[in-house]
Amino acid sequence: MLAPGLLALAAVTLFPGVYLLYMSVLSWTAFSPEVRFAALDNFRTLLRSATFWESAGTTLLFVALTTTISLVLGLALALALNEDLRGRGAMRTLLTLPLIVPPVVAGFGWKFLLSSDVGVIGAFLLPMAGIRVAPTGDPQLAMASVVLADIWSKTSFMFLISLAGLQAIPPFLYEAARIDGAGFWAQFRLVTLPLLKGVLIIAVILRVLDAINTFDVIFVMTQGGPGTATATFSILGWKIGFTYFDLGQAAALAVLMMVGAVFATNLLIRRARLAV
Amino acid sequence: MRSERAAEAVRTVAVRGQARAASRAPARRRWTLILVYGFLLTYLAFVLFPLAWLLLSSFKTRADALALPPRVIFTPTFDAYEKLFTAGILMPFGNSMFVAFTNIATALVLGVPAAYALARMQGGAKQHLSFWVLSTRMAPAFGVIVPIYALMRTLGLLDTRFSVTLAHLSFNLPFAIWLLMRYFEDLPVELEEAALVDGASRWGALRHAVLPVSVPMLVAVAILVFVASWNEFILAFILTSAEARTVPVLVASLAGTMAFDWPLMSAVSAGAVVPAFLLVFIVQRHITRGLTLGAIQ
Repeated sequence: MLAPGLLALAAVTLFPGVYLLYMSVLSWTAFSPEVRFAALDNFRTLLRSATFWESAGTTLLFVALTTTISLVLGLALALALNEDLRGRGAMRTLLTLPLIVPPVVAGFGWKFLLSSDVGVIGAFLLPMAGIRVAPTGDPQLAMASVVLADIWSKTSFMFLISLAGLQAIPPFLYEAARIDGAGFWAQFRLVTLPLLKGVLIIAVILRVLDAINTFDVIFVMTQGGPGTATATFSILGWKIGFTYFDLGQAAALAVLMMVGAVFATNLLIRRARLAV
Repeated sequence: MRSERAAEAVRTVAVRGQARAASRAPARRRWTLILVYGFLLTYLAFVLFPLAWLLLSSFKTRADALALPPRVIFTPTFDAYEKLFTAGILMPFGNSMFVAFTNIATALVLGVPAAYALARMQGGAKQHLSFWVLSTRMAPAFGVIVPIYALMRTLGLLDTRFSVTLAHLSFNLPFAIWLLMRYFEDLPVELEEAALVDGASRWGALRHAVLPVSVPMLVAVAILVFVASWNEFILAFILTSAEARTVPVLVASLAGTMAFDWPLMSAVSAGAVVPAFLLVFIVQRHITRGLTLGAIQ
């Protein structure tokens, strides 16, 4: 019973993993027939290049911004919509919309809105407010723009997980806290946060992994530009592998990304264990 | 005497304080409500505005779409949608449908038995196997692309629906197995025990006792697989160039061209959003359950 599924799983996951490691030690440029063993050359070249470290900083900034903001917003939305409000059902449904919009469309939509040539925001609202900028043309604003679009696209996920976590907290705990005279903030600090911590940490892990890999929104909006202002690891990897066709080095970057992801996940899981 | 008076004084102060707090409470509650609604409505506007604007723009002429200040009132036209048909860019929609539905079928046919077997397994092997399934979900997508691209190039399968389907299975299959495994674990064993006692095989028990009650979950998983596949960009982008392009690849390539046909791009975007919307909102209840299942457990 297990065999067909696991065999297929091995074929689509184990094979790429092993092959990736193998490729990372090859000097292999697509379109050139010569493939030779290069030991750790690919890693050495990457770790010595300024582009790599610059991209590491960009990735860190992007991941930190989009994770933090979508966590805070998602949690706030979930807290609000966990209360007995009028229109709660409809608002919950509408808030899940971005989850099923392809991130490519989200990126395009925001690029369109922010465009300083034709966009409602970039070419009309901002100039009306006396601000004349090209949101995707300025390095810092470009980062803000891609973060904005990514938050639009991914906060729904944080919202849904937080809401599910909140709904799993037994109501009598709040009643007990209220009887003891706890106000809103005290209840939040003493009941909600401790009980939600496990769920939130898992949500953050998934979100961080997702953010490290974010390609679509950034690619559509800026292609990593202007210059390299929004060139995170995924964009850099795409450039190395599929515009310079240096497959060996792209594989090495992917391996480093995986190591980083595993490291970050372990760190968060350890913190989760300490917290629980 | 004195202490009595003091106690009395304390009581009066306390009562007065409570009265004041009570008279203030509704006002405070009203302000809290206004703030909460203000926040929710602002965020909703932020969520809905881009979608509404894309939809609106898809019914504009190019001149209307480029007009500044932006035109909210205009004569709607279906030109952009007609162009979808005449410009020969319908094929990506067919490709996306093919890839998504092949993924659903494969993920369920292979995933259901594997997940069921894992769920009923005991001991160390199960721990290892389920950890493996979970860890594949954590692997960065970028790590999958490079080897799959190299393989497909060697096999001469670049720019085929097959290569995209296979690439998408690398995340959809473990995802489906994981969700279904957690679901089967929670299912009461009594259900299938009756069947097993009656002499049914494991396969028989799965087919006649477990699957009939699992239809909502299967639908939820199918939809999640559909959305994941339909929205996926980077794998499809790198594996295809013309014939096998999926909808996100089409959107990105239109957004990257210099001939800005905003209404056409908006129409394609609207078309990219509609199928998933329809699917999800027909069975909205299951999907929320499925999503939270996947995330929390």
